[in-house]
Amino acid sequence: MLSNIFQSIKEGKTLLGVGPMSKNCVDASIEISKKINCPIMLIASRRQIDCANQGGGYVNKWTTENFANYVKKKINNTKIFMCRDHGGPWQNNNEVKYKYNLNKAMKTAKRSFKIDIDNDFKILHIDTSIDIKRKKLDFNKSIERLFELYEYCYWYSKRKKKEILFEVGTEEQSGSTSTFEELENTLNEIQKRCLKFKLPFPTFIVIQSGTKVIERRNIGSFESHVRVSNELPVEIQLIKNLEICNKYRIFMKEHNADYLNADSIKWHPLLGIHASNVAPEFGVSETLALFKIFENESLKKFEEEFIDIAHKSNKWKKWVLDEKRLSQKEKAIICGHYVFSNQRVSEIKEELKEILKRKGIYLDNYLKENIKKSILRYLTGFGH
Amino acid sequence: MKIATILLNRNLPKVTNSLAKTIKKNNDTDLYVVEAGSDNSKISKHCSWHAKWGSVKKKGLRFPRGMNYALSNLYKEKKFTKYDLFFLITNDTEFVTKKFDKKIISLFKKHTKLGILSPCAPNWGEKKLLKKNSIKYFWYIHNNAVIIRRDFIEDVCSLKKPGYINFLYDGNNFRGYGTESEIIAKAYLNNWAAAITRDIIISENESYLIKRSNLIKTEPYDLNMRLYIKEGLRWMKEKYGFKSKWSMQMYVKTFYDKFFEINPTLKKYKI
Repeated sequence: MLSNIFQSIKEGKTLLGVGPMSKNCVDASIEISKKINCPIMLIASRRQIDCANQGGGYVNKWTTENFANYVKKKINNTKIFMCRDHGGPWQNNNEVKYKYNLNKAMKTAKRSFKIDIDNDFKILHIDTSIDIKRKKLDFNKSIERLFELYEYCYWYSKRKKKEILFEVGTEEQSGSTSTFEELENTLNEIQKRCLKFKLPFPTFIVIQSGTKVIERRNIGSFESHVRVSNELPVEIQLIKNLEICNKYRIFMKEHNADYLNADSIKWHPLLGIHASNVAPEFGVSETLALFKIFENESLKKFEEEFIDIAHKSNKWKKWVLDEKRLSQKEKAIICGHYVFSNQRVSEIKEELKEILKRKGIYLDNYLKENIKKSILRYLTGFGH
Repeated sequence: MKIATILLNRNLPKVTNSLAKTIKKNNDTDLYVVEAGSDNSKISKHCSWHAKWGSVKKKGLRFPRGMNYALSNLYKEKKFTKYDLFFLITNDTEFVTKKFDKKIISLFKKHTKLGILSPCAPNWGEKKLLKKNSIKYFWYIHNNAVIIRRDFIEDVCSLKKPGYINFLYDGNNFRGYGTESEIIAKAYLNNWAAAITRDIIISENESYLIKRSNLIKTEPYDLNMRLYIKEGLRWMKEKYGFKSKWSMQMYVKTFYDKFFEINPTLKKYKI
């Protein structure tokens, strides 16, 4: 089954990782994958979906176990891969909220990975870049923690006879590019330690490729036309990084490719970017579709309620550059997907379903079609 | 080897005079100043040519047209072949390396395939790439200060109607976004290299464009940047069918890679 991933990359296509932003987003991905027979990775962060023991996640109130059961029932003969995105210590909100110490955070990270493996996740991204005490963890400590988790996951999966691919790499959303000295050092160190601990070399490495999502834009250097002070132009850096990945025989995985324009997307396979993750754009597509229905059906009251719930969730804060510039509605669009599982939002959707049904419109189908359009933008550009 | 330095000015005589003085004081170079539609009262004392027809008075010449204008004038005045190298700069250039002439000549003598050389700036990421190397060959150089070898210009220039639109740069691209990549492609296509050196450090003082756009009589900085990119992308699409900067960069890189296949001994200068 994993051969589909290698085959796709071998054919010069860029693999798409879809953030499972909602149940509709998961369904849309499965349906598209079936329809056009292409692999899609469902890349769940621990905040989105985590094991029952860690309290699950915000997406559809799914635990890893429930999510996996749901997906497995639907994916006969499809090329859908459940993957863990940013697994590792302090990547689950509770670990931060309750200020877990290193021991406890590593222990819960291992438990989370164990449940992923038990439930047939196929790619595990081990991210040890964050620390409860420091903003950014130093390289040596990060790599020690990485290998503690890598060894654990690898040998556990061996015992369970599960075939797993690993993704490594640190730091999110810088919007710039990883320097290639940094990359070469990291890969060198990983290679040495893999030999020492008799572990296979990881399949993917996350590299900052100049993408950064703010509000509903990609403001990273990938699409920038001006020089960024003290940085190598992305036109040079990205290509050099890809050369290093190819030298080490590891696939480059880009994060935060949301909202790139069609031409930038089209250049991914041509540049040789092996895989790319997109997440909030798909959640926003669904929210925008929901707003369209509110508007078409003149359901102002529902719209206002949704805006109020989303705005009060404060989940927009991490995505916003200047909050004063944005209306409450815009903030609700940016973070709407975080509140899809809210009790009142679920009730609104149920009422909406009834209203639309009378007109022969099926709400979830309508929402899914809109998400699919966004997903297809990437799949087409990525050469699938 | 003899260097001609060409300096582009628009309405900033003091800045230009001061820069000209620094250049002349420290280097053996002939200096030519292009006045790109400057008001009569704001002409540098070193003025060589004053472009002052209507559209230039209104909008200036900008780098590609300004340099074409100067180079084609030298050509028409039969001074072009007097020089081996042309150092093209704008008046917001600031020299950290004040004595540059011998360094430039030495680099061009050593690197016989070198067609285009760009100084480095203190805040460029390329410095990390150059490390202790004095020079490396690049496929992407974004700078408004370049030294160009005459032999290379003669290889690629347009002599049909030499003037501000045609000579070295494509003057149809007014503000010039993408024209630097086009001439780098032309260099590698013709078996010439384009390099960045850390032997000469310069910086661009953008404060003139940001704070004195009124005085210069140009658009405000942000608007100018938007137009620079918009017009450049449109030019790339119309001329080459390229829809993004990536298309242009990968086009150039193809010839860059080919250059090292033809010149394997120069691989040590490849980034």
